[in-house]
Amino acid sequence: MRMGRKLPLKDAWLIMFILGVVMLNYPFLHIFNKDVLIFGIPLIILYFFIGWPFSIFVVYLFSIYLGRHSDQETTKEKPHANPPEGST
Amino acid sequence: MISISTVILTSLIYFGILFGVAYYADRQRKRGRSLIDNPSVYSLSLAVYCTSWTFYGSVGRAATSGIDFLAIYLGPTLIAFSWWFLLRKIVRISKEQNIASIADFISSRYGKSPLLGAIVTIFAVLGIMPYIALQLKAVARTFDLLVYPLATSSTMHILPKFDLRFDSALVVALILGLFGIIFGARHLDTSERHEGLVAAIALESVVKIIAFVAAGLFVTFGLFDGFGDIFNDFMTRFPERSHLLMLDTSSNSYAHWLTMTIVSMMAIMFLPRQFHIMVIENSREEHIRSAMWRFPAYMVIINLFVIPIALAGLLLSNGDTYNADFFVITLPLQYGHPWLALLVFIGGFSAAASMVMVSSVALSTMILNHLLMPVILKIHTGAKNLSVLLINLKRLGIIAVILLGYLYYRLLGESAALVNIGLISFLAATQFAPAVIGGLYWRQANRRGATTGLIFGFIVWFYTLLVPSFAQSGWIDTSIVEQGLFGLALLKPTALFGLSGFDLWTHALFWTMFFNLGSYLTISLLTSPCDEELEQARKFVDVFNPTPTTTEKTRITKAPTVIEFVDLMAKFIGAKQAHTAISDYLGDSEIDEKGGLSEYELPKLRRFTELTLAGSVGAAPARIIVDNYLSARGSHMEDVFDLFGSISISRTASREQLSVLYDAARAVASGNNLQAILDEILKIFTDQFKFDLCVIRILDEDRQTLTVRSQRGMTSEHFGESERGLTAETFIGETFLTNNVTVVNDSDFISKPKTAKIIRRERILSFAHAPITIEGQPIGVISAFSRTAKGIFTNEFIELFTSLAGQVGVAWRNAQQTDRLIAAREQQRELEIAKNIQLGLLPTKMPDVSGIQLAGVCIPAKEVGGDYYDYLLHEDGRLDLVIADVSGHNVGAALIMAETRTLIRCRSGKLFTPQEIICDLNQFFYDDLTQAELFITLFYMRYYPDTRQVLCASAGHSPTLHWQAKAKQCIRLNPEGLIIGVKKDFPYEQESFTLQEGDVLLLYTDGVIEAANNQDELFGEERLTDLLSEYSHLPPRQLIDYIIDQVRLFSGHHSFQDDVSLVVMQAEQP
Repeated sequence: MRMGRKLPLKDAWLIMFILGVVMLNYPFLHIFNKDVLIFGIPLIILYFFIGWPFSIFVVYLFSIYLGRHSDQETTKEKPHANPPEGST
Repeated sequence: MISISTVILTSLIYFGILFGVAYYADRQRKRGRSLIDNPSVYSLSLAVYCTSWTFYGSVGRAATSGIDFLAIYLGPTLIAFSWWFLLRKIVRISKEQNIASIADFISSRYGKSPLLGAIVTIFAVLGIMPYIALQLKAVARTFDLLVYPLATSSTMHILPKFDLRFDSALVVALILGLFGIIFGARHLDTSERHEGLVAAIALESVVKIIAFVAAGLFVTFGLFDGFGDIFNDFMTRFPERSHLLMLDTSSNSYAHWLTMTIVSMMAIMFLPRQFHIMVIENSREEHIRSAMWRFPAYMVIINLFVIPIALAGLLLSNGDTYNADFFVITLPLQYGHPWLALLVFIGGFSAAASMVMVSSVALSTMILNHLLMPVILKIHTGAKNLSVLLINLKRLGIIAVILLGYLYYRLLGESAALVNIGLISFLAATQFAPAVIGGLYWRQANRRGATTGLIFGFIVWFYTLLVPSFAQSGWIDTSIVEQGLFGLALLKPTALFGLSGFDLWTHALFWTMFFNLGSYLTISLLTSPCDEELEQARKFVDVFNPTPTTTEKTRITKAPTVIEFVDLMAKFIGAKQAHTAISDYLGDSEIDEKGGLSEYELPKLRRFTELTLAGSVGAAPARIIVDNYLSARGSHMEDVFDLFGSISISRTASREQLSVLYDAARAVASGNNLQAILDEILKIFTDQFKFDLCVIRILDEDRQTLTVRSQRGMTSEHFGESERGLTAETFIGETFLTNNVTVVNDSDFISKPKTAKIIRRERILSFAHAPITIEGQPIGVISAFSRTAKGIFTNEFIELFTSLAGQVGVAWRNAQQTDRLIAAREQQRELEIAKNIQLGLLPTKMPDVSGIQLAGVCIPAKEVGGDYYDYLLHEDGRLDLVIADVSGHNVGAALIMAETRTLIRCRSGKLFTPQEIICDLNQFFYDDLTQAELFITLFYMRYYPDTRQVLCASAGHSPTLHWQAKAKQCIRLNPEGLIIGVKKDFPYEQESFTLQEGDVLLLYTDGVIEAANNQDELFGEERLTDLLSEYSHLPPRQLIDYIIDQVRLFSGHHSFQDDVSLVVMQAEQP
């Protein structure tokens, strides 16, 4: 079960990356590219300055997941930590 | 306005702090406590991405063309998603390959191509030079603004006290150059890492964000009432400029936005300074994980106030965009906060300085490694130590790069806006993307493809971006831009091949990528990579899944010693570094008994040397250095003739290895004779490995020489068939004496003159001997000789060879054991024959004599024995009874026994008395027995049936027991007489008596009474007497059986230790 769940999440960066590119480009941006002020701030600028930190928050969660995941990985990989030839 | 002295003094103090931090970090590193081994410092150092272009240029961009500048920071945020995979892979590869720069990375990936390294370097320098110019311009301009706020362009300054004229940009350039040298090129490092530099960069990142946020807070909340206030004011006052806050406008199309996103993604990865900080200076892969969000967060914060400052600047300068790039410094100045302006200046200076320092260090490394190094190696300076020259060239490189930037700034920097210059560099870095990313994931990608792609990409980049930029600054004729090259509209740099309607950047990105990526893919697909490229491709693409290490299949002829390798390294990186590197390396290497590295360790050392050199001079030059060095001393790498065929030699046995051993084991077990087995083993061996000669020699113990027992391969009267003495003069003798394998992989270098002579005559190139042992003791030597190749005896092969020698040993031992077994069996058979003959000599049927009953038995302890009994019935009716015991139970005893029988049979027919017969026997046997060291005891009895008289004589035999039925007593008959064979003329006595009815005579040999039990107690005469007394009434046969049973019961064994014989004569009852 664990293995099955691990792999998709590990590759989630690709989906998030594509999603990010889509959401920060035409035509998606066109939705917010309107001459409208919200709290006195243009919609598109508000969109950027909310969407941007939000995407960083997603990366943050992702990095935490990776941290836990790679910790397991390194403990698991410990016996093989020193390959015979190494960097030489 | 702030006084020039204050600005200079503040700047100097700031320099001092930076120096201090950098110096401290370097000190800490030497003590093993890395200051920068920390995710926060790593993330902050990545912020070298935010240069003065971010610091000043973003505001200018926002004020003039709108919010497209955001894409420059959104792109890196998006690509950060991939860092754990993309960046980590690059970092892992770079650490393993000791990569020193992005040029080194690309060159390494494509077979360590020096050409690619040079191309990347040239384009990187061309691409980054304007960017450096931009930083110098920013610092100089802000300096001017601080000191002469009203000046329109940079002027020569005069230091009031000293009346010293100076150009601020030049001074800044020189100071930054000095910084670069101190922290980037103090010494040549085996790994291109500079902790001091990184620490300074991280501090500068902190300063610039503080300065910018401070200015932002001042403008937003000091001059206005927050964000909403600024936007409202702006919309009211400049409704016609509302497009600045929108996308999809004339200056900000969605295509342009996409271009900016892509270009910035590539720039954050592949700008030489970013690559240097992110990859080369990375101290731990885990840092990437937190940098993935920390660095984007840094960018959000630093961009938070860009739009407010830009709008505020426009509002407060009545829409004048002339100084828009510097609103962030002019606003605090105008509104009476010179100290804030000074802080902003320091922040902007930090942004510029960090970029210039890292770029100049990264570029000078590339220039040294990929442009100068090949020239230096060509010139072949005989200098002993190049490290000093190299480090000075690197320092010179740093200054040169910065001065080139200064020159660019002086010549055409004034005209172009900051953002434009920056984007030109970004697009240059984007050109590296196909070669790097393709090289990471696509095995087929090759050097030709990468080279062509890069060259095309940069030609188009130059034409579509630099040419218009030169034209704009009046450097070249604008007609090229307006009418196209040679007046051809199709060749217009801004609308190449008629592609119009796009902004400069989208147009350039499209065409550069079209040619770059297109030719990269096409040529990579059409051509095939060479071996070295494949090898590197494997190391890059599969860095996370390294294939199982294959053992070294090459060797170095006339290999240099370890010391020579160290000297070679020392020449380029200095003696101290070289010694540190080699001692680290040798720490975990196998060293042979002579203190050197074993033959198969040397190619590894060669690789290590190359890798170490690569750390400071780049992969391609390192390879050239080592190759040149080896070829200069006449050594070269040669492939080891692969004995095991194409199948990879793993540490465990290969299929061939197993098959040879299996076949050999089968031959050993075949049961053939030894010669056939030895011949078969050599046949299997030579067939598999194509040796020219294989010989098995076995020790001839009598002559103490190793004689040839089997030979296969070339015939030679001198060679294979000759014997070898047990001396260390020959390798074979030495192998036997030391019981160690001898390998000579190159017969040009052999130490034994006697062997050398033979080897040269026979044109042998390499050979190996292994001792054949039985239980660890050598009994012979197996040898393999090759005329075709040197260096074929790898460790794996020797392992196999030793196993094979073991098999020969087993075969030899088996053969010897079989021989012994056969001999023993034959002896056994002979003994069986002797036993049968001997049993045949004993009487088979009882003579029929009236008045008495007889029975006898003889049980030999072994196959043959020395006991004997006989009844001899003569014609005159007398009956002779003999019982004798020859000492020993062997064949000798049996022979004497047979002889005794013959003699007795011969003599007894005549009318001799028992006494006379014994005397005769004694005389006859004396000589034989003395010689054979044997003796005989014997009891001879004669019975006359008519008179019932008995005559008896004894030669030292056990007394005969006489049961007297009437008297009911048992007496001993023991006439005096010496053992036969002791004294030649001995007077034997004779007794006589008359046998009464019911009397029983019991003759026996000492095997009966000397039968012992577990307590070493003897059966004894007394027990025998008792038995006889009690059971004298039994018929003789039953009496004998009973006695035998009792003796067996007593001793507890079925078999006897000595021969046992019993004869019973019973006088019948009336």
